Amino acid sequence: MLKSTFTPIFCALAPKPKPSTRVITNTFSNSTSTVRQNSSLKNNPTITPSSAYIHLPFCRKRCHYCDFPIVALGSASTQTHDDPRVINYIQWLCREINATKIEDELDSAKTPLKTVFFGGGTPSLVPPSMVGTVLETLKMKFGVSESAEISMEMDPGTFDYKKMEEMMLLGVNRVSLGVQAFQEKLLKSCGRAHGLEEVHEAIDIVKKCGVENWSIDLIASLPHQTSEMWEESLRLAIEARPTHVSVYDLQIEQGTKFGRLYSPGEFPLPSETQSADFYTMASRMLRDANYSHYEISSYCKSGYECRHNFTYWKYKPFYAFGLGSTSFIGGLRFSRPRKVNEYMKFVENLENGSVNSSIDDNINSKDKALDVVMLSLRTARGLDLKHFQESFGSSLVLSLVEVYKPYVESGHVVFLDEQRRAVRIDDINNSLLDETDLERRVAYMRLSDPNGFLLSNELIALAFGVIDSWKDYPSALQEAT
Amino acid sequence: MGFLRKASKTLKQSNYVSLLFNFNPLSSRITHERFSITRALFCTQSRQNYTKEKAIIDLSQYPPELVRNFSIIAHVDHGKSTLADRLLELTGTIKKGLGQPQYLDKLQVERERGITVKAQTATMFYKNIINGDDFKDGKESSNYLLNLIDTPGHVDFSYEVSRSLAACQGVLLVVDAAQGVQAQTVANFYLAFESNLAIIPVINKIDQPTADPDRVKGQLKSMFDLDPSDALLTSAKTGVGLEHVLPAVIERIPPPPGKSESSLRMLLLDSYFDEYRGVICHVAVVDGALRKGDKISSAATGKSYEAMDIGIMHPELTPTGILFTGQVGYVITGMRTTKEARIGDTIYHTKSTVDVEPLPGFKAAKHMVFSGLFPADGSDFEALSHAIEKLTCNDASVSVTKETSTALGLGFRCGFLGLLHMDVFHQRLEQEYGAHIISTVPTVPYIYEYSDGSKLEVQNPAALPSNPKQRVVACWEPTVIATIVMPSEYVGPVITLLSERRGEQLEYSFIDSQRVFMKYRLPLREIVIDFYNELKSITSGYASFDYEDSDYQPSDLVKLDILLNGQAVDAMATIVHNSKSYRVGRELVEKLKKVIDRQMFEIIIQAAIGSKIIARETVTAMRKNVLAKCYGGDITRKKKLLEKQKEGKKRMKRVGSVDVPQEAFHELLKVS
Ligand SMILES: Nc1nc2c(ncn2[C@@H]2O[C@H](COP(=O)(O)OP(=O)(O)O)[C@@H](O)[C@H]2O)c(=O)[nH]1
Ligand SMILES: [Mg+2]
Repeated sequence: MLKSTFTPIFCALAPKPKPSTRVITNTFSNSTSTVRQNSSLKNNPTITPSSAYIHLPFCRKRCHYCDFPIVALGSASTQTHDDPRVINYIQWLCREINATKIEDELDSAKTPLKTVFFGGGTPSLVPPSMVGTVLETLKMKFGVSESAEISMEMDPGTFDYKKMEEMMLLGVNRVSLGVQAFQEKLLKSCGRAHGLEEVHEAIDIVKKCGVENWSIDLIASLPHQTSEMWEESLRLAIEARPTHVSVYDLQIEQGTKFGRLYSPGEFPLPSETQSADFYTMASRMLRDANYSHYEISSYCKSGYECRHNFTYWKYKPFYAFGLGSTSFIGGLRFSRPRKVNEYMKFVENLENGSVNSSIDDNINSKDKALDVVMLSLRTARGLDLKHFQESFGSSLVLSLVEVYKPYVESGHVVFLDEQRRAVRIDDINNSLLDETDLERRVAYMRLSDPNGFLLSNELIALAFGVIDSWKDYPSALQEAT
Repeated sequence: MGFLRKASKTLKQSNYVSLLFNFNPLSSRITHERFSITRALFCTQSRQNYTKEKAIIDLSQYPPELVRNFSIIAHVDHGKSTLADRLLELTGTIKKGLGQPQYLDKLQVERERGITVKAQTATMFYKNIINGDDFKDGKESSNYLLNLIDTPGHVDFSYEVSRSLAACQGVLLVVDAAQGVQAQTVANFYLAFESNLAIIPVINKIDQPTADPDRVKGQLKSMFDLDPSDALLTSAKTGVGLEHVLPAVIERIPPPPGKSESSLRMLLLDSYFDEYRGVICHVAVVDGALRKGDKISSAATGKSYEAMDIGIMHPELTPTGILFTGQVGYVITGMRTTKEARIGDTIYHTKSTVDVEPLPGFKAAKHMVFSGLFPADGSDFEALSHAIEKLTCNDASVSVTKETSTALGLGFRCGFLGLLHMDVFHQRLEQEYGAHIISTVPTVPYIYEYSDGSKLEVQNPAALPSNPKQRVVACWEPTVIATIVMPSEYVGPVITLLSERRGEQLEYSFIDSQRVFMKYRLPLREIVIDFYNELKSITSGYASFDYEDSDYQPSDLVKLDILLNGQAVDAMATIVHNSKSYRVGRELVEKLKKVIDRQMFEIIIQAAIGSKIIARETVTAMRKNVLAKCYGGDITRKKKLLEKQKEGKKRMKRVGSVDVPQEAFHELLKVS
């Protein structure tokens, strides 16, 4: 009886293998999604999103390393208010926002957005008036909280004092400045549309405008980058006193210019050892300058974590709008088309109801566990084992502890107690005999900085192995299978 | 020319065989046993004959004087199979030229690749015509029953050759007219010679432009003291000279010597398993006669059976209801597995009042090479177990015992007749049963003697204590007598190779002005790994090689352990001669360093004898593998990457904390 009554719910949760191409269906009504919130799975992604990512794909030109869905307007384009490509796109974007099904229809109160992130492309190329239109649309549709964090990626050379001020007036209160490097030669060789002079100008503008919360983004392991150059970049970034620094590693992607020219680990790219040294240097210099290394590639002054990004790392749902963007609603990661034509078609379908980007008929608890581990281990906070155990059971936690134990000894992994004090390996060994003791002692597991972070792929893959062979599903799921 | 080359040739062609299998309309009623496939194909060829002759075969017309039992022996590729096929065609046993030019080749591949494809027997009927005139039912012209008892063409199966020869009174010794006497020619000649068989030299392939029959005649004279004028000159390809072959068989090979009046004694020559009919035994009736319905017993097992079906292989199973003295045929008794059918066993009538003297048994299959077989994916143990069981059902010459390795988990220790046998077995497991296996370094059976007088036969180096409680007083290793034939210009490097392999020269002579023949005693261990490849490469493929097993010899042996981060890996232990231990240890460690990927911590690879470390390498720790990139909400790609990484780890074997790729085990096989 139980089974027949709840079939749709259990189907939704059953750990079926995921189809390789997602079929988006409208099969499930809202009532099922409410019930799903009551299921035994905590951390449920079906709660209403309060974050939105907005993709503004326009760039002056494509950087040599970039494989993002962008639209290159041409190097001369710094004024875009009359560019029909931009005007058009913004219209489609707003149509998408409006056509999106609100997930909180059954909640008594709307959940206003708490973070909005304009990413790109180069969002700062878009005229403030159009950014205003987008924000207005969001407000109408979802509401935007008074205290919302509204971030924008901005590139040197694409904005002046006036534009910055206008953006701030619209509500943009966090700037992520795409500096990448402080060497003219390196900027040129990776195909950036700006030079070093524009970098200094941009920093000046941001500071003069009084943007309180801003980030400098840097890229490590660029071709021909020496450790002197990297040290200089870090030093100049620190001297600019941003509240946040993002340090990305150059990834050589297929289909990019760099992908054709270079192979990882080979000259002129730094060797693995050099590259590890770069990472370590960043970690050390930024920490010495009082930045906390709160995520694999993110550093901030106390209290200036990027709230939007935490949505991702905490496995919280979020909306996404625009070309090639990925939303995460109702347990479904949904990626929009990367090509403009297909994107427009998608918006039309969304409007006429033939596509729904938000409900997953196939939440797989293994997948969920993988996501949670993968995302949380990127952060300094680490994996919240109590929380994880509530969702996935203690046997999985035990297996994870067992697998990671050797890496505590090797210094890659740290177990922490409730007060975030490191737990000694002997105590873990003793506790393994007694489940409740383990629970009492160990509250978090994190990767160490920098050695654990440096090998995060290896370390996370270990958890994937454990979860893959995990058979002890939580009981609600077991009944369904 | 060489057995390993042959092995690779069959490897290539095996796909071809499976194609054949798929498209053959008969395949549905054919079992998945390769052997049966061949047989069924054979059937299609001779179906017509079969129905026509079925009723008329009356074996009582063939008293021993009109029976000849013979084998063809040859160095590999000298034309044994082709000649056999021609003789079968000549006698109408199979039909000629069905518009399938590769038909016989496929059959041959089938025969050569699977070791269950044992000595095949075919019965032929032949009307002898003397001096080219047909005397029309005159006394000089008679119908003969000829049994061609085929022999496997590889040294690993020489025990099968001797088994086949035991049922023969003579052989055709086939020699390639261009290549002349080769190692296997020598070995096979002596097998026949020691069995007192009539030997008919056949110089084949005389159609080749490089054929030099006179030179070969000279070699036969100098090596074997065979009269040049006795040699038949043939081309199994063009048919030249073939008409002389069967008359020579009749004239020069004596009839079987058995006594028709005595009580039944028959020799169990071979057996195979047919899914539908059960165990089918090939037998040679030495004395007396066997009739359908007779109760028969095995001298070896004491078990009794009923002869449910009896007949000859003509070439497929053709019931005759009876087999008379000197005749060779099959009997189906309801045996359940081929393990009951002991090759070389004597079978007699259960009711025989007189005590029957068992026939001299054959050399029992001797396991020369052992290796551990483990499922490549730990979870596939059941599948591997099932595959091995199926395969050994038709190949009782493989010994199988369970083995547990800390590094590789549950698996099997298998004993093989030789290296090719082992290769073929692995290949069949993978190809026919889809089993993915890791095999450990092959080892030979050593004997250790301890100070308390106890002796230990070591078939698995891991089972040998690295630091024994009792002092080792002696160890012995099996040796072989190797025959090598090569052009004289290669003598220097070959002798160097043989002395590196701890060989002892027993004989050195010239076959003719250009070819040298050598006999060596070699430790079996030294030829188990990579010997033949090396011999081939230093002689550009011109040397031929054969060996027969010989006695155990005292030796200075040590156990070499491989340690990963201080922990010995049982599946990597080997036993080596003391004089080579340092070199082998170093090589193993270097090989491993190349194949073991860097991991999160440093890996120390060591080779040790007892507690003494003799070689060491370090795999430095991986420094960085991180995806520090802004990927926003799209984590699917990253997840895929991590999934891939996890899959990679799954294919590894975990030894302590070290992930060892499966290639590592394969690489170790290549160190001698
Ligand atoms: N030219 C020539 N080739 C032959 C002759 N007999 C056999 N062969 C070829 O030699 C190769 C080996 O023959 P095969 O019968 O398989 O030799 P086996 O290994 O002794 O059984 C095959 O390619 C045959 O076609 C012959 O008389 N003349
Ligand atoms: Mg052959």
